[in-house]
Amino acid sequence: MTRLGLSRLVAVVLVAWGSAPAGAADAPDFNRDVRPILAARCFKCHGPDDAARKAKLRLDTRDGAEAALGKPGDSELVRRATATDPDAVMPPPATKVTLTTREKETLAAWVAAGAKYDPHWSFIRPKRADVPKPKFAIRNPIDAFVFARLEKDGLRPSPEADRYTLVRRVYLDLIGVPPTPEEVDAFVKDKAPDAYEKLVDRLLASPLYGERWARKWLDLARYADTNGYEKDRRRSIWPYRDWVVRALNADVPFDQFTVEQLAGDVLPNATVGQKVATGFHRNTMLNEEGGIDPLEFRYYAVADRVAVTGTVWLGLTLGCAQCHTHKFDPISHTEYFRLFAYLNNADEPDLAVPTAELEKRRAEIEAKIAMLQPALDEIASDKNGKAFEAWVAAERKRAVKWITLKASKMDAGGATKLALQPDGSVFAGGDAKKRDLYTLTLTDLPAGATAFRVEALPDERLPAGGPGRAYYEGPKGDFLLSEFTLKVDGKPVAIAGASEAHARGNLTAKAALDGHPHTGWGGSGKPGVGSSAVFNLAKPLTAKAATLELLFERHYAASLGRFRISVTTADGEVKARDIPAEVEDVLARDPPDRVGARGSDAVIRYWMSVAPEFKAARDEIENLRKQLPAYPETLVMQERPADNLRPTFRHHRGEFLQPKEEVKPGVPALFGAKVAPQNRLEFAKWLVSPENPLTARVTVNRHWHAFFGRGLVRTLDDFGYQGEPPTHPELLDWLALEFVDRGWSVKKLHKLIVTSATYKQSAKVTPELLAKDPENKLLARGPRVRLEAEQIRDSALKAAGLLSAKMYGPSVFPPQPANITTEGTYGGLKWEVSPGEDRYRRGLYTFMKRTAPYAMFGTFDGPSGEACTARREVSNTALQALTMLNDAVLVEVAQALAKRAAAHGGDTSDRVAYLFRLCLVRPPTADEVAAIGKFYAAQKGRFAADPKRAETVAGAGENVVERAAWAATARAILNLDEFVTRE
Amino acid sequence: MNHASELRAPYSALRAAITRRHFFRDCGYGVGKAALASLLVGSARAADTPAGPLSPKKPHFAGKAKAVIHLFMAGAPSQLDLFDHKPELARLEGKPLPPEVIKGQRYAFIRPDAAVLGPRFKFARHGKSGTELSEVLPHFAKVVDDVCILKAVHTDQFNHAPAQIFFNTGFGQPGRPSMGSWVVYGLGCETKELPAFVVMSTGAGISGGAANWSSGFLPTIYTGTRFRNQGDPILNVSSPAGFDAELQKDTLDLVTDLNKKHLGVVGDPEIATRTAAYEMAGRLQTAAPELTDLKKEDKETLALYGADPDKPSFARACLLARRMVERGVRFVTIYHEGWDAHSDVAGNSRKNCKATDQASAALVADLKRRGMLDSTLVIWGGEFGRTPMVESNPVLGRSLGRDHHPQAFTIWMAGGGIKPGVTLGKTDDLGFHPAEGAVHVHDVQATILDRLGFDHEKLTYRHAGRDFRLTDVFGKVIKDALA
Repeated sequence: MTRLGLSRLVAVVLVAWGSAPAGAADAPDFNRDVRPILAARCFKCHGPDDAARKAKLRLDTRDGAEAALGKPGDSELVRRATATDPDAVMPPPATKVTLTTREKETLAAWVAAGAKYDPHWSFIRPKRADVPKPKFAIRNPIDAFVFARLEKDGLRPSPEADRYTLVRRVYLDLIGVPPTPEEVDAFVKDKAPDAYEKLVDRLLASPLYGERWARKWLDLARYADTNGYEKDRRRSIWPYRDWVVRALNADVPFDQFTVEQLAGDVLPNATVGQKVATGFHRNTMLNEEGGIDPLEFRYYAVADRVAVTGTVWLGLTLGCAQCHTHKFDPISHTEYFRLFAYLNNADEPDLAVPTAELEKRRAEIEAKIAMLQPALDEIASDKNGKAFEAWVAAERKRAVKWITLKASKMDAGGATKLALQPDGSVFAGGDAKKRDLYTLTLTDLPAGATAFRVEALPDERLPAGGPGRAYYEGPKGDFLLSEFTLKVDGKPVAIAGASEAHARGNLTAKAALDGHPHTGWGGSGKPGVGSSAVFNLAKPLTAKAATLELLFERHYAASLGRFRISVTTADGEVKARDIPAEVEDVLARDPPDRVGARGSDAVIRYWMSVAPEFKAARDEIENLRKQLPAYPETLVMQERPADNLRPTFRHHRGEFLQPKEEVKPGVPALFGAKVAPQNRLEFAKWLVSPENPLTARVTVNRHWHAFFGRGLVRTLDDFGYQGEPPTHPELLDWLALEFVDRGWSVKKLHKLIVTSATYKQSAKVTPELLAKDPENKLLARGPRVRLEAEQIRDSALKAAGLLSAKMYGPSVFPPQPANITTEGTYGGLKWEVSPGEDRYRRGLYTFMKRTAPYAMFGTFDGPSGEACTARREVSNTALQALTMLNDAVLVEVAQALAKRAAAHGGDTSDRVAYLFRLCLVRPPTADEVAAIGKFYAAQKGRFAADPKRAETVAGAGENVVERAAWAATARAILNLDEFVTRE
Repeated sequence: MNHASELRAPYSALRAAITRRHFFRDCGYGVGKAALASLLVGSARAADTPAGPLSPKKPHFAGKAKAVIHLFMAGAPSQLDLFDHKPELARLEGKPLPPEVIKGQRYAFIRPDAAVLGPRFKFARHGKSGTELSEVLPHFAKVVDDVCILKAVHTDQFNHAPAQIFFNTGFGQPGRPSMGSWVVYGLGCETKELPAFVVMSTGAGISGGAANWSSGFLPTIYTGTRFRNQGDPILNVSSPAGFDAELQKDTLDLVTDLNKKHLGVVGDPEIATRTAAYEMAGRLQTAAPELTDLKKEDKETLALYGADPDKPSFARACLLARRMVERGVRFVTIYHEGWDAHSDVAGNSRKNCKATDQASAALVADLKRRGMLDSTLVIWGGEFGRTPMVESNPVLGRSLGRDHHPQAFTIWMAGGGIKPGVTLGKTDDLGFHPAEGAVHVHDVQATILDRLGFDHEKLTYRHAGRDFRLTDVFGKVIKDALA
């Protein structure tokens, strides 16, 4: 390279990486040089947004720009861009946006060369470029692309990192923890040419791999163990977290991984696992604050799902088009809501997830119950026949004949759909609101009706089994019937009184007659348990037709999910009874059915459940039933049936309260989809189809970032016009295509990356390299990045020999001051430190509370789970130093390390070296041994003079002075920059 | 460095300020090898260089305020019982409001047609300004000529968590940077011994949680640091038992020494930044106990605030806030939660005024007599107001309360270039809607930034494809409030 060339290169490197200026010789490249200027300076008023467009001019398309571009030498665009007259210059001074001299030159040069428009690089399908042949030795095509660029820019690759550095790097990257000294020695001593590849294969096969990579995926999924917002209560969605770990360990192809998470519930014969996978988009927050409008927050959750889908799969900032057409990218406001429509048609139930272990325990208990049951049957059939007959006779006198009413018309406003069930009951599907009014038109009333009965019925489709639809703030499955109003010809019918089978406190059936919307009947309050209320009319009804209004208006959505309305003509005051309707129905039949020993199972079963004769036998069974372990629950998506679709509207300014015209699902026109996906499943499949140019690129780029600390496209979440162009476009495309060709295998992608010479380079920085490429964009050296929060914790625990290998299950509570989750926190959580090995689980399993995240993780830039995190910030702060120095977990680690050091053979130097290698993997230098040894000796001397302090530091036991000194030493080593950095 | 361009620049430029290696690039430093090498292995005070993300920076123009103390009355005080006297409500008590007033409003707990509840307290005029205040604010009445009261503030949110997050971040959902984060991002910080942005809490729980002081998508270094009432004021600021001062010093020396050695080998300037962070940690360990030792305050001052030096309270937090600002802390928020008077608004107001009135007023008076008020902006207020209508709910055991009211509420500001002794904005006779001088929360935010020297439209950060700002795409500086 000529001297001139070199100096120009340096100028480029220092001033404008990735956007080379327009040289005199070559015309500017539209994508690289021109569009970024137009996008940043012009599109806001002359871009895709019709509403914001000024002077009917759009510069984002060649057609729209035609007139302004003019021709070389006579271009209005160039005239305006270079004008000095404040009335003529563009952008106008009022916008406070100005073009730099270089930008003006670039635009002029571009127009001079014919003002060619090229499609945005990421919106066209990746192309396979020829693999270059650089002069430097390569290990795989990644190196060919990277080194060819280095060669072009007059740089050279760094030598391979030494084996200690390499083994630590690849352990941390692939499984998230450093190797033990034994694992290190095994690798260092293995002189086989494929030693490294074998190591990589072993790590890819380790179960720890899935745990490491699950954490990164959960950042995107905004996973947490609480609902967020004010109350921030616990939720159970860890089965989804475990699904991710298993899927990554099984190397489930990324296309399948995508489809199952976005639409697993809609797959034919969906498995439990595929349903659990849909937890991805159930990780949105749930506002349980008193008095919220639940549909408003549901709307926000769907908007979040759209934005997250855009970030994770498309690398597009779709959220920008929620309020108006995207200012920069070609996504219109309507197109945004067409995407919204794909994700807007699901119900959001909890799913019980059977596990093998729990199924076994349940089976054992059920077998015991089964053994007791015949004995009960025997007593019932033989010995107690007379008692049964007597009971039946008595009950027949009390039984009331009820007639189930089937409404000829049912209405619950827009969001809820009432559907008649085979047993004459009604199921309320759709969205519950804070105020729901069910109106039932009754046209076949018997003459002389005297009382109405409302049965609140459980149903497994409802939250916690119903009978109500409450799913936030109040107990799940709760309901409150605020008002019961019967109208004939539009006038209320007088009700004399009311009774109920169950009531809690003052939530009685009478309260449903008082005209106050906040009082009413609340049923048993037990999830999955029904109840009934009876309303007596002041006088028998003569009309054949009436309208029944059931009003539900608590400060949270609490309408009935399943209910049945019956009427009787019985004389006198009828009271609600705690007896199943079907039993009472049999007992009340006239002429009576034979309800003898084998006459009606329902009656016999009911009798057995109440008769004093069976109490002992019943109690035994009941005790066993109580021991039946519940299956853990997880949050899933469940597509709505075709006859009850949730319509999607475009919302003016993106505001919940401003729905406008209805929109149908569809993908933005920029993708030129031949056939638009029709539903969520087809949309998920489209995302991973060759028609979509983005998903593979965005995915490989994110993985590249994970290994190198920066993406080939630095803006991981923005591949649109405003994103940065790739530093190595051919490599990005090659990797994307290779990823798909290799069956979307993430493990194969990882192997390809970590076996490249590019990855294996030493991370040493020379002042020259630092000057030429401070951010290491060109990769003339290996990556050196700070560890993530969980890696720091896991590394420390592993070094100390404390790290638990236990996988899966509910999240755990490692030590931290109790007031982190209580002081000043509205939804306080008592942080009870987990006992046993749960104290030492990997960070992945630490309980994540959104409004008060685990302190150590927050300090080291861990996410709160409130938003999708494509890229964690990497900070370097005094609070981190305080954590490493003083946090209780780290002190415990130091004490455990001290025990290991004290128990190690050899002299002080050997022990220093051992401790050093436990923490930092590489052997220390002589200088380091000397400095640490001196520190150890000094502390030992001081502790010897104060054995009490030694015991405080070391913990009780033998050798306190020595151990205290080692604990102090271990703590110092844990605080070295190297410990928290992957080199 | 052109600071204004940095603030407008996309995320690459901000990243540039984070670590020193980027500093070399953007500032044109370190081009000479010798200079670079000496910086790399020389003094490890990287965080002290002008490029540190917390080092003091110049705003867009010379601001009046240098620091902010935000007294956040979480839960939402009743403006109708403290500031906004509406005799008309007493006259209408027990009757519903006219339908044209209430149409289209959503409420958390009540129906819009709930009956009117009159003011619960006596009001009287105070100060030269003759400002009308309720009897439960006797201390505030004494400083009323030093403050600017805004009576027609309105917000977009009617539930606590979203409204608190909205007031603090300009958006109703978690995820955006808080006011304190924006301010520190823009101004840096004067202190090298204390955090730039401190958060305290003295009441019940804070509905919006940590999202209220989160840095959102700004670098995490701009997140507010919690000062806690129990245990260490700053988490882990004290050394563990038995790790005495000498051991701590030896440890820091060893860490510095070994880091420097390693820096010589691998050459990554980030190591120097880490060493500097450890030095700052060491200073914090000394500065925090000194800061929180209120025994050094004279008796008269303690009495002015009504603070017990050893007992956590709002008063103690206010006094600590003054001490922090004296020591160069940029932004302090004190949350006092407990104003959510769905029942017994009179009792609630009395209790919370007892806890906050004296100290809020003392803070203004104390700052003034120390000559600090001109450069310290004090803000007092909640996330929304309370309804002119009564809340009663037999199921929840509520009576004589008031529900959430986002349409109009009162806050006050003092110092930092805010006009003293004025009341701006008026509500209608029912205290329902602004009648004149309506200001939105985004306007309040724009005004706060203005007083600190920022054009709120230019203090931006590129994230997810666009330039975000505290005021979203809204906000106008409240010119009438400027001194």
